[in-house]
Order: sequence, then C-alpha cells, then structure tokens
Amino acid sequence: MTAIEVVHLTKRFRVHQKAPGLRGAIRGFFHREYREVQAVEDLSFTIAPGELVGFIGPNGAGKTTTLKMLSGLLYPTAGRVTVLGYTPSDRQAAFQKQFTMVMGQRSQLWWDLPAWDSFLLNKEIYEVPDEAFRRMVQELSELLELEGLLDIPVKKLSLGQRMKAELACSLLHHPQVLFLDEPTLGLDVVMQHKIRQFITAYNRTHRATILLTSHNMDDVAELCERVIIIDHGHLLYDGRLTELVSRYAPHKLISVDFHAPINTEALAALGRLVTANGLRAQLEVPRAEVSACASTLLGRFPVADLSIEEPPIERVIRSIFTHQPVPPSHAQEISSGL
Amino acid sequence: MLKKYRLAYSLAWQRELEYRSTFLMERVRSLTLLVSFYFLWTTLLAGRASFLQYSLSQILTYAFGMHLLRALVLSSRSWEVISEINSGRLSAYLLRPISHLGYWITQDLADKTMNLISAVLEILVLVTVLRAMLYLPHRLVTYLAFGLAILGAMTIYFLLSYLASAAGFWTSESGGPRFCFELFLEFTAGAFFPIDILPRTIQALFYALPSPYLVFFPLNVWLERLPPQAIVQGLAMQVVWVAALAWLVKVVWRRGLRLYGAEGG
Repeated sequence: MTAIEVVHLTKRFRVHQKAPGLRGAIRGFFHREYREVQAVEDLSFTIAPGELVGFIGPNGAGKTTTLKMLSGLLYPTAGRVTVLGYTPSDRQAAFQKQFTMVMGQRSQLWWDLPAWDSFLLNKEIYEVPDEAFRRMVQELSELLELEGLLDIPVKKLSLGQRMKAELACSLLHHPQVLFLDEPTLGLDVVMQHKIRQFITAYNRTHRATILLTSHNMDDVAELCERVIIIDHGHLLYDGRLTELVSRYAPHKLISVDFHAPINTEALAALGRLVTANGLRAQLEVPRAEVSACASTLLGRFPVADLSIEEPPIERVIRSIFTHQPVPPSHAQEISSGL
Repeated sequence: MLKKYRLAYSLAWQRELEYRSTFLMERVRSLTLLVSFYFLWTTLLAGRASFLQYSLSQILTYAFGMHLLRALVLSSRSWEVISEINSGRLSAYLLRPISHLGYWITQDLADKTMNLISAVLEILVLVTVLRAMLYLPHRLVTYLAFGLAILGAMTIYFLLSYLASAAGFWTSESGGPRFCFELFLEFTAGAFFPIDILPRTIQALFYALPSPYLVFFPLNVWLERLPPQAIVQGLAMQVVWVAALAWLVKVVWRRGLRLYGAEGG
C-alpha cells in the first residue's frame, strides 16, 4: 500500500529567453526566443501512508515542481504520479478533499479579512460538518496557539502568525496527505520550533503522510527519518537520514579536552589532526576506528573530557551537491541554509 | 454545495466595504461620464424635437441607461484573473474543490450588486435635481424582454472578460490587453453613444461582434425602438454568443491550464 507513487516523472518548461540590454528587449519584441528547461528528470519514488519524508535539494533542483505535480497544479511532461490512488492533474474533488499543500510564500487567506472568514470559506469548500469543524478548530488552536489571532485582518498579522493561520486553514478538512513547501521560511527560531512540533504532532495524531521541502536542515533533522534528495531534477538519494550521514561522511570528529599539555605528534598518529590548541584538540577518525581511538585516548592521554560527533547534516548534504568530500572543520561551516 | 459560493459572495461584499475609497472613486468616474453626456445631449437637442431619430427623453434615457448598464453589465472584478494567473495565485483555487469560474461569478455579482445600488441612487438623485424626463416603456412585455436582455448581456460580458483573462496563460503583460479590450468593447457596445448614429457599414461591422448586445441592444429594447421580431432575434443572438463564448472559455482555459506554470511559492 502506497500513499504516493512517482514513476519516471519528467517535467520540462519552455521559457522565454531575453538577451541583456535594450537591444535584447527590442529584438525580443519582434522575435521571441525560447529554450527548454528540464525541471524534473526521470524521478521515481514511493511513500507509504503515515510517513514523514524530507524532500531536499538546492534551489532549482525541482522540489517545488515535483510538489506541484503531486498536487495537480502542473501536468507532467512524461511519467506517472498517483496520490491516494488518484491522478492529481485530474483535479477530482474526492482527491482534493484528502490532501493539502502549504507553500511558505503563497497564501489562501483573504488578505483584507480576518483569518476566521477564510476558515469558514474552507469549511464550506471542503464541506466539513459543523461538529468536525468545531473540533478541528479547537485542536488546531491549541496546537498552534491561535487564540486571539483569528479575528484580526490577515494583513495585520506578523509573518509567523500568518503562517500558523495558513497551516490551520489548510488542515481544517483533516487531510491525509500534506505537501509542505518551506513551512518555516522567514520565521524566527522560536516559531520554527513551534511549527516543527506541530508537524510532528499532526503526523502522529492523524497518521498523515507528509512530504516536506525545506532549506532549513534543522527542519529535516528534527522531523524526517527518511529523506529524498534531488538535484537538477535527478534523484540523488532516497533512504534514512542516518544512513545518508554514514554513507557520505566516512569520518567522525573526536573532540578532547586535556588536564595537561600533550604531545601533538603522538596524537596525530591516531587520526587526522584538525585542531590542536593547548589543552584542546580535534581529530578526524574513520568510522570503523572511532571506538579504538577513543579507548587509546582515554588510556594514554590525560583526558578531562571527550566527545564524538557526527558531521552536521547540513555539511553532509552540501558535500553531496558539490561532489566534494565532507569538510572536517567546524570553522569551515557556513551557518546559512543550503 | 452552493453554500460555498454564497459565502464567497458575502466575503466579497465585506472586502468591497473595506475599500470604500476605491469604490467611491469608481462611482465618481461613472457619474462624471453621466453628467457630461447629459449636458452634451441636452445641448445638441436644444430647440429640436429629435436628433438622429432619438427624442430628447429617449436620448437622455439612453444616457442614464448607459450609467446603469455600466454598473450592471460592464463592471467586472474578473479582470483580476489575469494577474492571478501571472502571479500564481490561481493555484489556491486549483488545489481546492471549488470551481474557479463559479467563484469569480460570485465576485462579479457582488461587485455588480454594489455598483447597481449606487447607480440607482445616483440616477434617482440626478433625475430629481435635473428634472430629466426619462422614457418609460408602455408595454409590460418590454420590461420582461429588457430583463432577459440584461441577463444575456451580463453573461456575455462575464464570459468575454474571463476569456480575455486567459491571456495570462500566454503573456505576463496584463495591463495592455485589459485597457485595449475594455475601451474597444465599451465603444462598440454603445456605452459612449448609441451606435446607430454611426455610418451603416461600421454598424454592420459592430454587429458581427458580441458587444452591441451588451448595452445598445438592451437599451433599445427599453426605449421600444425595436419591433418584436428584432427583439426576439437579438435575444437569440445573445444565446448564440453565450454558447459560443462558453465553449471558447472551456477550450481556451483547458489549453491554458496545461501551460500554467504555477509561478511563485
């Protein structure tokens, strides 16, 4: 039983190409030139009911295009998509009542009116019975802390408040499948955390299937056991997040604090010395040798504290896109998203 | 099933009331046109019994009728659809079990209702102040025919506007097509002056279009300037245009949606 099935999915767009400058604009006025852009190429995967899967890739990788095909907004150029047994581009009401798509930069709320009015409209659009609507609003209000926000015109809400109202409005009909496109985009860390907590709770309570795209690796690390990684429309990886790290990051990092100064040459014999700073050192060690190395360190050196770390997931994924090995040092890490 | 459209209609009213100044400006624009036409025609007909086969009361009724039909037929919010397509806001409807066409009918109806109420009040005030003698039909059946002609005109205009908005699937330039389309349509519809004052060849050309059935035909029904046969023929032509435009809307939108890029987001 699968909730989502994608088979050899391909999407190509024809885009207008304009030469730079006024001359290009004038030439384009008389003679338009187009080129074909391949957004998604031969993509296949399946998702079981109740799974929460991270769908990641750099900008222009084809994530949002894939989500738009899964939700029926775009027609595939080739291949097949089924969601809950339906072909999304048929846009059947029975299918539309069972899924939702939340786009971080798109809103279905009426801008000039309080969010409550949009809630009522969605209640009628999805034909939600009064009692189910009341219960869902109550549940969503508690989970998302919506009290006091629903009577204020949407244009007066902050970005975070709007995102919460948007999420709630999209879930009033109790969808079984959620496509979340950058749900934490532009939110502060507190609000990001709340949204993540909410997504986990919704997934567990309603056994909903969730496919989530995000450039924020905290979203992926905190929410998703499984990730699908694409780049230039091609599938790069589909599997567990933990396996991804062990496959693409063959080393671990051991950080050690010492009671007394040590001989760095002796330390370098145990692995690649990343930093050695007086009483502190960091060693990059192959995964298979981590235990042996740690026990040697504890036995032969005046160790005060020792920790073993996986490289940050963000760095692992960046290395996949750049086709470079995972850089060892924290100092090289860029704190922004992918 | 219809509840969602009723609610969308009510929300559109609420939104219109939020933007009072835009509404008032639109009314001022329409009122200015009415007053200028009133003085134009009273000056032209000063000392004459008729002008181009229109009596003074008939031509003034035509001017006031134009004001009413601009509110009822030629007003349309569905012009926003073109920017909805270009900006990707159309996606919000395509994802949900609601007919986009049905939704925009409710938005247009809300707009028309507000404009109509305002236009009727304006006409009543102006008729009282200017003591204008308006033409009222003598036959009861004229009122029925006028009602049907208005219904046909509203449907034709909505379909034309919805069809023209589909240009958004092929071009991202929304201002130009709208401006050009609106001006041409109003001129050929007789929304500035009755088109039968124009040379016959131009009239014949206009009659090959749906526009004369938007303003000129309904007002001529009201003014009882058409024989029964011409009224029936006119109503039948409205039905033909509605059917043709509905078919075109279906075909063009189906093709357009296949090209729709769902930009943004």
